[in-house]
Amino acid sequence: MKHLVCIGLFLVAGVTLAADRAVQETNDYYRRPLDHLLTIETQAKAAVGSRSGDRDALDAEVPIDVITSAQLQSTGQTELTRALAVLLPGFNAPRPSIADGTDHAAPFTLRGLNPDQVLVLINGKRQHQGALLHNNGTVGRGTSGVDLNTIPLRAIERIEVLRDGAAAQYGSDAIAGIINIILKGYGQGSQASATYGRTRQGDGVTWQGGVFFSQPLAGDGFINLSTEWRDRGPTNRAGPDANDGGRINTHFGDADTQDGLLALNAEIPRGDTTLYAHGLFDNRRSSAGAFFRRAGDARNIAAIYPDGFLPLIEPKIVDYSATAGIRGLLENGTRWDVSYTHGHNDYHFYVDNSLNTSLGGATPTRFDSGATRYTQQILNADFSRRIGRHTLAGGYEFRAEHYRIVKGEPASYLLGPEDNFAYGAQGFPGFSPENEVSARRTAHALYGDLKYGVSERLMLDAALRGEHYSDFGSTVNGKLALRYRAHEDLLFRTSVSSGFRAPSLSQSHFSYTGSYRNSQEEAPQFWGNYAVDHPVARALGATDLKPEKSRHFTLGMVYQPAAQLTASADLFVTDIADRILPTGYIAGWNLATLSPQAAAVLTQNSIDGAVYFTNAIGTRTRGLDLRLDYKRELPNGAWLKLVGAYQRSRTTLTDINQAPGILGVDMTDLILDPFTRVLIEDSQPQDAIKLWTKYSTRDYDLVVNLNRFGEFSSVKGYDKITFAAKWTVDAEFAYRLAKDVTLAVGGVNLLDAKPDEWGETDDSLAGSGKVIRYSLYAPFGYNGAYYYLRLGVDF
Amino acid sequence: MRGVCVRVIVWMACLLSLLNAPAALAGDEERKLEAVFIGRFASYVEWPDRPRERFVITLLDDNPFGKLLDDLYLDKRIHNKPIELRYATRLDQVGETDVLFITLSRAAARAEAIDYAQRNGILTISEIKGFAESGGVIQLDFVEQKARIKINHAAALRSGLRIGAPLLSIATVLRGERP
Repeated sequence: MKHLVCIGLFLVAGVTLAADRAVQETNDYYRRPLDHLLTIETQAKAAVGSRSGDRDALDAEVPIDVITSAQLQSTGQTELTRALAVLLPGFNAPRPSIADGTDHAAPFTLRGLNPDQVLVLINGKRQHQGALLHNNGTVGRGTSGVDLNTIPLRAIERIEVLRDGAAAQYGSDAIAGIINIILKGYGQGSQASATYGRTRQGDGVTWQGGVFFSQPLAGDGFINLSTEWRDRGPTNRAGPDANDGGRINTHFGDADTQDGLLALNAEIPRGDTTLYAHGLFDNRRSSAGAFFRRAGDARNIAAIYPDGFLPLIEPKIVDYSATAGIRGLLENGTRWDVSYTHGHNDYHFYVDNSLNTSLGGATPTRFDSGATRYTQQILNADFSRRIGRHTLAGGYEFRAEHYRIVKGEPASYLLGPEDNFAYGAQGFPGFSPENEVSARRTAHALYGDLKYGVSERLMLDAALRGEHYSDFGSTVNGKLALRYRAHEDLLFRTSVSSGFRAPSLSQSHFSYTGSYRNSQEEAPQFWGNYAVDHPVARALGATDLKPEKSRHFTLGMVYQPAAQLTASADLFVTDIADRILPTGYIAGWNLATLSPQAAAVLTQNSIDGAVYFTNAIGTRTRGLDLRLDYKRELPNGAWLKLVGAYQRSRTTLTDINQAPGILGVDMTDLILDPFTRVLIEDSQPQDAIKLWTKYSTRDYDLVVNLNRFGEFSSVKGYDKITFAAKWTVDAEFAYRLAKDVTLAVGGVNLLDAKPDEWGETDDSLAGSGKVIRYSLYAPFGYNGAYYYLRLGVDF
Repeated sequence: MRGVCVRVIVWMACLLSLLNAPAALAGDEERKLEAVFIGRFASYVEWPDRPRERFVITLLDDNPFGKLLDDLYLDKRIHNKPIELRYATRLDQVGETDVLFITLSRAAARAEAIDYAQRNGILTISEIKGFAESGGVIQLDFVEQKARIKINHAAALRSGLRIGAPLLSIATVLRGERP
């Protein structure tokens, strides 16, 4: 009893003390010179996850990180995924190599889940996914994600990261979280910048030049244009090939990539209505190697490549999105917003320095291997209205998607007369006419959101969203969040929600098959990926894909003992059922217990083996997020700012669905080989520490960024190999040469940290002292140190 | 059993006391700075002589500050006068005031308030975009987490207000007519 009274008194006293502190801080501001008040940096605010406007950490009912433009610039990175990987704990962006298309549009993940389990928004509007299906053994295998590197860094004002499921508010994909990228808007000055950088080993030479131009319009409207050219040279960390005279014949590192980027953001206010538009465009050319074919390799024609050859996969990627809308305010205070968004990604494969062995000496050496394309259109109508301390919001969304596979030129996929098994363009055989697909889907969604202020301190947020998809049917999801501000400086929050991820059209319809012959007398045998509605896949038990269903729970607190210090801790649990994975290779020689019926299907269709996507497993992801923001004004107008973060998450298998009965194998044998199990559970860092520190004076800024990338595992053969956690240090010194001119010099991974090597293996290529020394899952790549110079001019 | 009941009642009392405790002060730094700027702006503005004993600041429409303004200005003086804070939800409640902080979201309502202020020599301040261009005197907004000041000097002159050089020197000054 005494304890209860004490707790009550403590809480009530806390309210009073916090109020006194706030008055003291405000009085302190009141005494400062007026111009000094303009230098004070306030807490970052975010709108994501709420339909009632921006709020800071102490107001958010769900955990949110805000990455500012200054933080992004200070990383020294020129690509958004790499910048976020060193700033945002739980954001994982490995650097895949020798992984076909994935080398050129690398996936990223949040909280150890999949790339397609993150929703990306641009100014609050859904961004389309890429057309590429990551089909190799990388993190994100079997998924299509958003390509964040299509966005010029200079165009970004801030990035809001919602660390919670939010499908009940935003729809499909918002399972691991939401990344809302806010483009620079009102009040921005124009800027130009140029960057030069290279790795310690002298490769990876990067040139970047960009201009951000802002034209103010009447009524505080604006038109902001960004343009950027980015040329990132290749890196190569391949070792010598002992079976090829000890020469380095393979490319294992960053692709050679050039991007031309544009971004637009505009608002034209007129009274209570505002016309707005934003758009992004990226034209990328890229080149990276496949596996090297030695001179004596049966896939080589010695007359063409007497020393063997390294096929180069050289896609041309065009990505664009555009949103136009109008928002306004009715007389009764209701806010409304109607918008249309069009997004498109065209991933066109070309292969150079290659050949089609089966065509003999007549083979071309450069191929058009076809393309995958994805288009998304969204019509959205939102409203929200504040009623006292409550907010009621809702809306309707229509979404249309179109996924296509376009065949390559015949030489890229043909099985010619000359050879037995090596069909198509070496490196990346083209999509064949049988693979061509044009699949469409529409979805309608209705949603409502009520933010109910029980009192000044207790806020309840309830959201409900129903959607109907033309392919798999309907789904209804809800969210309940509670925010309780015990003191002015102490917030407790919790949420429970359900969510889903619609199977992507690429998972349902991806088809990529090839053929080979054991001898010229035999009929060709086929193999590869089949769409779930392909007759062969159907005969092997494939069914229409169901959505992945998720359930979320978070519990956390925010403590702000002073305006300069904010700390938060959040626990989370995410359960996902019916996760979609590609099957293992369905072939008699690969699955010992494959049923005679399934074997007969393969035989009748002259198929060696087949793969299709299926709802396979359930997982649970549990974790903890800790954050610390601190800033302090020092003598002579200097500022010290520190952002610390720790994240830990662990994904474990909880359910294994039944395999299709016709196959006669269980799902564990069909899908969960050691490689896949490790990919799901252990391939991503289990924890991360980020410590970003900035010391600013009038003349210069010094930024030091300390990162710890947690341990991860990979598989070689059937053995799980664990790689130790590593620390990296980045630093940047930016000196203001003049009022509007800044020169920055910096280093990424200054101490030249590298991931652990594979160690001793039986593999012919991968292992210490061999061609490939590092795992593709290494979370900070394997380039080592990188140094750069950046010149920035404000105008 | 009796003990359990008492505990529940005490817990409920504690919670209710917290639920009902006023959210007196926003932890939001933007709000704190806005609250400070209102008074600091006023100290750099000269009004035509008016026979009032108190310096009056009025908030029109929503009050986003909670009790922050009352606590901050309790012991302050502007132009050597004690400060009186008023809260109005409609324009006809404004009456005589020196400063009008406007949070009205509708443009037409803001235009009415601006017109009223100009006719009565009132300094208008708002955080709403486009405020200065539409005839308001001082617009205070935040870009990339830092405060910015925009002053419509012509509107100030129309209101009979003189704005001191120190304030003009740190603001973006609109000297022309509204676009």
